[in-house]
Amino acid sequence: MERKKITFKINGEEKTLEVEPNKTLLWLIREELKLKGTKRACERGDCGLCTVLLNGEPVKSCLVLAVEVDGSEIITVEGLARNGELTPLQRAFIEHGALQCGFCTPAFLIVGHWLINRNPRPSREEVIEALNGVLCRCTGYRSIIDAILSVTKTEK
Amino acid sequence: MLPKLDYSSPRTLGELLELLDRYKDQAKILAGGTDLIVSLREKLEKPKYIIDIKKIPELGKLEYREGEGLTIGATVTFKNILENPVIKDRYSVLWEAVKTIGDMVLRNRATLVGNICTASPAGDSSPALLVLNARVKIVSKEGSREIPLENFFTGVKKTVLKPWEMVKEVLVPEPPKKSFGRYLKMMRVRSEDLSVVGVAGLGYREGGEIKIRLAFSSVAPTPLRVKEAEEAFAKPGPIEEKIERAVQVAVEKVSPISDVRGSAEYRLNLVRVLTRRLLKQLVEVV
Repeated sequence: MERKKITFKINGEEKTLEVEPNKTLLWLIREELKLKGTKRACERGDCGLCTVLLNGEPVKSCLVLAVEVDGSEIITVEGLARNGELTPLQRAFIEHGALQCGFCTPAFLIVGHWLINRNPRPSREEVIEALNGVLCRCTGYRSIIDAILSVTKTEK
Repeated sequence: MLPKLDYSSPRTLGELLELLDRYKDQAKILAGGTDLIVSLREKLEKPKYIIDIKKIPELGKLEYREGEGLTIGATVTFKNILENPVIKDRYSVLWEAVKTIGDMVLRNRATLVGNICTASPAGDSSPALLVLNARVKIVSKEGSREIPLENFFTGVKKTVLKPWEMVKEVLVPEPPKKSFGRYLKMMRVRSEDLSVVGVAGLGYREGGEIKIRLAFSSVAPTPLRVKEAEEAFAKPGPIEEKIERAVQVAVEKVSPISDVRGSAEYRLNLVRVLTRRLLKQLVEVV
C-alpha cells in the first residue's frame, strides 16, 4: 500500500502529511489530527454524525477517503468558533437546550452553519430537510430546529 | 477499517481507461464513494486498486441540448441534478426520483452514474431513467458502445459492464412533447430510506391518445420497466378501464421478495396502490 502525500486546510490551518489510501477523512480528523468533535458512529453514511464541511459543502467524512481531500479545505465543529467566541448558532443551541446526550450536536452545528450561510432565511421545512441526514437518537429535533430558526430570525 | 488498497486519480479519460485495462477486476472506480466505501468496509468488495475519477473534467459534463436531450457524466452528483432547472422542468420524473435519494448531505457526493452502476434493485434513479428511455455510454480502451439502460442490468447488483469498461455518461433523450412524469416512493420513514416500492411513470399524448410508460424499483432483481402494462393504453376504451388493466398487468409482471423493508405480499399491494395512484395523476395532467 503506497502512502500518499496530501496538502489541505483544516479550520484555516494548512497541513501536509502522508496517509495510507485506505484511511477515511473521518480517521484523518479524529485519529491523525486528534480533533474529537467529529463523531464516529454508524460508519456507513446513515447517521451523519461525522458530517464536516469539505470545500464549503457538508459531507459524511466516513464515506470520503483521506487521500481525496488533497487540495481541499475542511471545516470541523472546532473551526466554527472564532478566538474562543461561540457563533450565534452555538449560543442558540445552548439557549434552546438543543442537546441531550450531545453526541450528534457537532454534526447538527455543521449542517446548521452551512444552511444559514447558504440560505439566511430558511423556512421550518427547509431546516427540517437540511437536517434529514443527521440523526439524533435522543429525538431532540424540535429544540434543534428551534435553535436554528431563532438565529435566522434575529439576523435580519 | 478498510482493506489495504492503492489509490490513483488519473487526470484524463485515456489514463483512466489504461489503468482499468491493466487492473481489470482488481480495480474499482471511485466517484462519490457513498456505496463503494460502505462495500469496502463491509468487505463486499476487495479491490486492490481504487481509481478516483473526480479529477477528470470531461466526466463532470451535465449538458442539455434542445431536441437532443441530456448528457449526465460519470461524476455528476445528485446535487448537480437537483440544481439544474432544465431537469426540474423537462425531466420532472428524474428530478423527483433523485429528490427521494438519501439526504441532502449524501446527495452532495453521490452520483447518478454510480447509482446505476451499483445496480441495486432499489435504485431510485433507474426507474425514472427507464421511463425516459435513457441510454448508457460505455467506454473502454478498445472503444465505446451505447446500450439502452433497460439492457444494462443483468441481476441483483450485476450489470453488463466488463471489468475493463466504465460508464462514461448516461444519455437521456428529449422527452415527448408536453409529457409529464412522476416518481412515487414508499419508504418506512419520511427520509433517508430505500424504497419499499418505487414507481416511475411518464404520460404524454400521441395523436390525441394518452400513452404511458411505467417502471419500478424494489419489486424484481433489477429496476424494471413494464411495457406490457403500458400496452393497456394502446387499445381503445374508457380511461378508467385502461388504468385498471395496466395495474393488473403490473401486478402480474413484478416478482417482489420479502425483506427487512416489507413482505412480498405487502409489496404486491403497494404496486397495485401506487400504480393506480400514479396513473390517475398522470392522465389528469396530460
